[in-house]
Amino acid sequence: MKVIMKNLGKKYEGRENFTLRNIDLEIDDQDFCVILGPSGCGKTTLLRMIAGLNSITEGDLYFDDRRVNTIPPKDRDIAMVFQSYALYPHMTVYDNMSFSLVMRKERKKIIDERVKEAAQLLQIEDYLYAKPADISGGQRQRVALGRAIVRKPSVFLMDEPLSNLDAKLREHMRVELVRLHKSLGTTSIYVTHDQTEAMTMATKIILLDGGKIQQVGKPEEFYNKPENIFVARFIGSPTINIIRGKYRDGKFVSETDTITLTPSKEDAELLKDYEGKGISIGIRPERFESGGEFGDTFEATIDVIEMLGKEKTLYARLKDGSDLVISTPGHYDYKEGETHTFGFDINAIHYFESETGERINR
Amino acid sequence: MTLFGGKKKKDKGLYLSDKPPLTVAGIIGIVTSYTILFAWVVAIVWPLFQMVVSAFNGQQQQYIMGNENFEFSLRHFEFLYNETYYLTWVKNTLFIAISTALLTIVMVSFTGYAYSRYRFKGRKASLMAIMLIQTIPTFAGITAFFTMHSIVSSVIPAFSRQMMLILIYAGPAIASNTFILKGYIDSVSTELDDAAKIDGCSNFDIYRIIIMPIARPMLTIIALWSFIGPFMDYLLAKVLLTSPSTYTLAVGLFTLVSDFRTMNQPAFAAGGLLTAIPIVIMFMVLQKQLVSGLTSGSVKG
Amino acid sequence: MATYSLYLKDNIGNEYERKNKYLLDLARLDEKISQETDKEKKIALQKERKSLVSNKKKHPHNVKLEEFRKKEDEFLRSVKAEESGYEKTLPTSLDSQVKDLKTRRFHHGKRMDFYKGYSELTYEADFKYRESKIHVEQIPEIIEFIEGIEADLAQAMEEKENIDPKEDSRMKEDLKSFKKEAKEKRDQEIQKVKERRKEGVISSKAETNAIKELKREYKNQVRLQEYKIPSVENKDFIRSKKRELRNGVRRSEKILKADVADTRRKIPVEYEKNSPTVAYLTPLVPGMGQLINGQKRKAMFFFLATLFIYLIAIPYALGYGNYQGEGISGLISLAEGGARVHKSLIFMIEGIVAIFLLLIALGLYYASFRDVLNTERDMIKGIRPSNWFETKRTIFQEGFPYVTSFPAMLVIVFIVLVPVITTLLLSFTNMNPQNQSKFAWIGIENYKLIALGEGLAGSVFWLIFIWTVIWTLVATTLAILLGFFLALLVNNDRIKGKKFFRTIYILPWAVPAFITIMFFSIMVAPGGVITEILNSLFNSRIEIKNDTTLTRTALILIQAWLGSAYVFLLTTGVLQAIPGDLYEAAEIDGASSFEKLRRITVPLVLFQIAPLLVTQYTFNFNNFSVIFLFNSGGPFDPQRYGNLAGSSDLLISYVYKLALVNQYQAIAAAITIFISLGVMFFAFLGFRRSKGFREGRL
Repeated sequence: MKVIMKNLGKKYEGRENFTLRNIDLEIDDQDFCVILGPSGCGKTTLLRMIAGLNSITEGDLYFDDRRVNTIPPKDRDIAMVFQSYALYPHMTVYDNMSFSLVMRKERKKIIDERVKEAAQLLQIEDYLYAKPADISGGQRQRVALGRAIVRKPSVFLMDEPLSNLDAKLREHMRVELVRLHKSLGTTSIYVTHDQTEAMTMATKIILLDGGKIQQVGKPEEFYNKPENIFVARFIGSPTINIIRGKYRDGKFVSETDTITLTPSKEDAELLKDYEGKGISIGIRPERFESGGEFGDTFEATIDVIEMLGKEKTLYARLKDGSDLVISTPGHYDYKEGETHTFGFDINAIHYFESETGERINR
Repeated sequence: MTLFGGKKKKDKGLYLSDKPPLTVAGIIGIVTSYTILFAWVVAIVWPLFQMVVSAFNGQQQQYIMGNENFEFSLRHFEFLYNETYYLTWVKNTLFIAISTALLTIVMVSFTGYAYSRYRFKGRKASLMAIMLIQTIPTFAGITAFFTMHSIVSSVIPAFSRQMMLILIYAGPAIASNTFILKGYIDSVSTELDDAAKIDGCSNFDIYRIIIMPIARPMLTIIALWSFIGPFMDYLLAKVLLTSPSTYTLAVGLFTLVSDFRTMNQPAFAAGGLLTAIPIVIMFMVLQKQLVSGLTSGSVKG
Repeated sequence: MATYSLYLKDNIGNEYERKNKYLLDLARLDEKISQETDKEKKIALQKERKSLVSNKKKHPHNVKLEEFRKKEDEFLRSVKAEESGYEKTLPTSLDSQVKDLKTRRFHHGKRMDFYKGYSELTYEADFKYRESKIHVEQIPEIIEFIEGIEADLAQAMEEKENIDPKEDSRMKEDLKSFKKEAKEKRDQEIQKVKERRKEGVISSKAETNAIKELKREYKNQVRLQEYKIPSVENKDFIRSKKRELRNGVRRSEKILKADVADTRRKIPVEYEKNSPTVAYLTPLVPGMGQLINGQKRKAMFFFLATLFIYLIAIPYALGYGNYQGEGISGLISLAEGGARVHKSLIFMIEGIVAIFLLLIALGLYYASFRDVLNTERDMIKGIRPSNWFETKRTIFQEGFPYVTSFPAMLVIVFIVLVPVITTLLLSFTNMNPQNQSKFAWIGIENYKLIALGEGLAGSVFWLIFIWTVIWTLVATTLAILLGFFLALLVNNDRIKGKKFFRTIYILPWAVPAFITIMFFSIMVAPGGVITEILNSLFNSRIEIKNDTTLTRTALILIQAWLGSAYVFLLTTGVLQAIPGDLYEAAEIDGASSFEKLRRITVPLVLFQIAPLLVTQYTFNFNNFSVIFLFNSGGPFDPQRYGNLAGSSDLLISYVYKLALVNQYQAIAAAITIFISLGVMFFAFLGFRRSKGFREGRL
């Protein structure tokens, strides 16, 4: 089922400003859509509005072509997995999973079939009659998922379901969720602040900040063509390097003149109008070049080296004291305290307007 | 240097305890402690023992003397059963206690839920008001209770003094327990409410199917406390209940001790014993819950 | 003079242009007037405005509006006829529900067409157009839904006919044997579980859980087998379909209403009125304002309030329907000069009740007034008043707490507040043995008596007060120290038999206090066991209950005996919760046992139970039972204490004697107020220190 948001806005009573405004989005059927953003950006509010737990102040919400603003949550054909799982502690796992169907007075035969089916899919058949307090966190999470699956909804909503799990389990569940999504084919909307989850699981990412949409699109687009500095910084680990400066005589010069960069021909075309204006460049840590002759270069002294095995992360300092993060293959030889010369892969430079943060090159 | 070094644990002469071995001062301390502890045990058990013995001592007359001449007999119990209203008193007290407990938990379940889960106009103000009302001692109104009952019973004859007493016990109980229950329900995550809404529950459904079952331990404690209250109260029952057949246990048993006309102290001992046993058992079995109810209420405010 | 705004607003703050050109012209003029500084031009503009208003009827917009209204009347009349005509064309075999829906759709279709033409003219038409449009769009879906389910039902009914009874009863037999088999299997499994428990392989909790699970599974399996029987399945299917039908229709109707309500929020209203006159004209009749504003069903609720006010509250306050009293005036007169049967106290209480009723009435007036005022103010802005559906929704969502707490509040007000206020007022009267059934106001005379320590009752006040304070401090502190000390001893690692000690030590708390107090009283009577023992030990003839100091000492000891158990219990509970890490860390830091006690144990425990300890002090201050039941507050000491009080009386038992035994209710009331204020003050202090309050999490 498609989920379409037109000009959605939310204002809480008693607050001056809108928490969310002008949200226009289209989520396609069978999408795994991740709503990403830092704390307080409004992503949970948006999810809750789609669920019907919070009212919609302005704008319209459509499921396929049905306007659902006024439809209560239980009639929207959705299911939600909460951050704390929200399992009813006084009911068995079986009762938790069948609860929504029981409330709908569904036939017992059907209820049992669905519950057993979901239990099988999630491998929790062994403790169908246990209570939530008696099973582990990971198992509880699967019960929460089972509860959602049993409803056979048209949309799955998930509010940071993996944040209460330990690292290894989280990795495992990420894959499980994607597999589940592929086998069930239900449109899923997933909220998180963890960009790794977003990048690995999503077919479409929506990045929110301060109640506004920063970018919408496929994970690759976020990485390779961030629409503004915020997006560029948010996605990618280690964080992208942003250097401020000016565009002078067809070259980028950093504020303290430590770095000069000549753009590629295509980029130069787009940068023509920015002569004399302030622009910032973004370079991913792995796109620096070393050990050879490459146009513009700069010198940097290595402060700290993080040895990760397959790669090394160098925290380097430039002549003017500013920092850079450089990723190199693990077998390259670097030592702390050394000074090296680095160059740029000029096809991997992102240009942004310094003032607005908006991307320049396409 | 240790005195009892290797003899602490009789295990191949190995000293296995995690604690450092006792010094002389330590030993003296322990012995003193045990002495004090046992002395206190005697201080507690002896009077109670006296009461139990007197109840069974056929030699005891109207005034209880020492129990040197002991003759086992059940005649005091018979007296209690036949010549006094003891059984009626038990019935009355149970009726009042159970009604108070029921009334309290029904009302408190609603108010506790309402104050915890809803933000409505006047919430803060009324909560403060209840807090203050809680502190008003109940006896402050004794002069009025009697008269109020007369007024109401002239309109509704079925309204007995015992019912008035139930209301008097329940009123402050509702006020103070609302807080405690509210605090307890506060600790239940609101995500459960959300999940229930999505699963198809109305507000009342959420109250009935989700929150109340979870709050059951707390409600049980509240019910217990409101049940025990009437058993322990003398003053209010004395003020309101005037005819012997309507007395509660506290008031009734007192007449066996204070009033010359009805004096029969060994019968009182018998009655006291009979009353005390179930309550003591209840306290023993439930002491953990009762105490946790107290501390959680006070610590969380 | 109120002005018109250029734009209409809705509750979120969105602006809409006015459609009423007449009002628009007025609004534009109003704006110009307010911005115009030149006096002459201003007056000219104001004249223009006035003439505009007096020529209202001739304004082109209003002319069109008149036309529209006439056409509307015509239309509404004709549409009724058309509707009945349409209804007759529907097949009679049709389900009545579907018939009704089709007629409604027809009706709204006509309305839609009519109002569409006028939607530019006025928001009313626009709204009605949209409202009908929603109906036209959604009703066919409902009809389709109903028809679908009815088809399913018809099919199921057919299948019902085709069930082979022989096959059916055979399956029922199969079920019986299945049940037997499954039950046997289940019991076997349960046995296995019990055996494992006996062997100690699993815990008792695991045993109970496992047995529960097995029982559940059995039940489930049986039920599933049941549904294999065709007749059972069929019945279940039909039942659930019928339910689906009912719920589905209800749900769709609700969504319809919700969508209409949504539209109400989006289409503004335009009124000529520009000041909330209705609110100010009808405050005395709750419901009237709502009715005038078009909220009929809400008005009915408020009319109930009107009934309450004028049939109950006010008459009662004036004296009608009182048991004996005269309502509010009874408070002042206190039955002076009335009949013999008339009691002042009753007059007073009824007066207080009357005041409460009036307060409630005032509250209702205010609530209704505010409601009407807000609705009107919103209407002027452009916000449409809520219809009954929206109001009902709000009540159910936000009214739940009010409705459910109402009975509890009622009990609290009448059981706690009325008596307390009665006592307060009594303290300003002269109710005493001579003035029992009738008494009068005497101002603060009673308080003076007490404060100065004069009069029959007042002279002993301060004596008793001092003893009460001493008693409270000594008895409570002793109990606390004892309980705390014992708890520490028992909790010591090296002490064995903890369970034994703990069980015995809570006996004083577990046995109902009145029993032990009375028995102690017996034992220290002349000839009682304790008296005899003390006599033989000290070779004397002591009579404890006849000696003031001995009685007081005995009381303090008894209370320490009783109270320490409670403190012991609390302290033990907290001690057990202190993590051992703290002590280990202190040990590493070089603390001796005493220092550990002083710096870790005592602060932690005290902090946790401090509020409860405060309640112990307030409890003992008013500890009627132990004083009265032990020796009736005696022994008597007429020289110092007069005839009303004994030498071990606390203020509270003194109050009891004054009020209920000697009939000096007024002075007793004054003392009660005095005590209560003190107790409340300390309790409030205790509250403020408690965690929840401080964190502001009310």
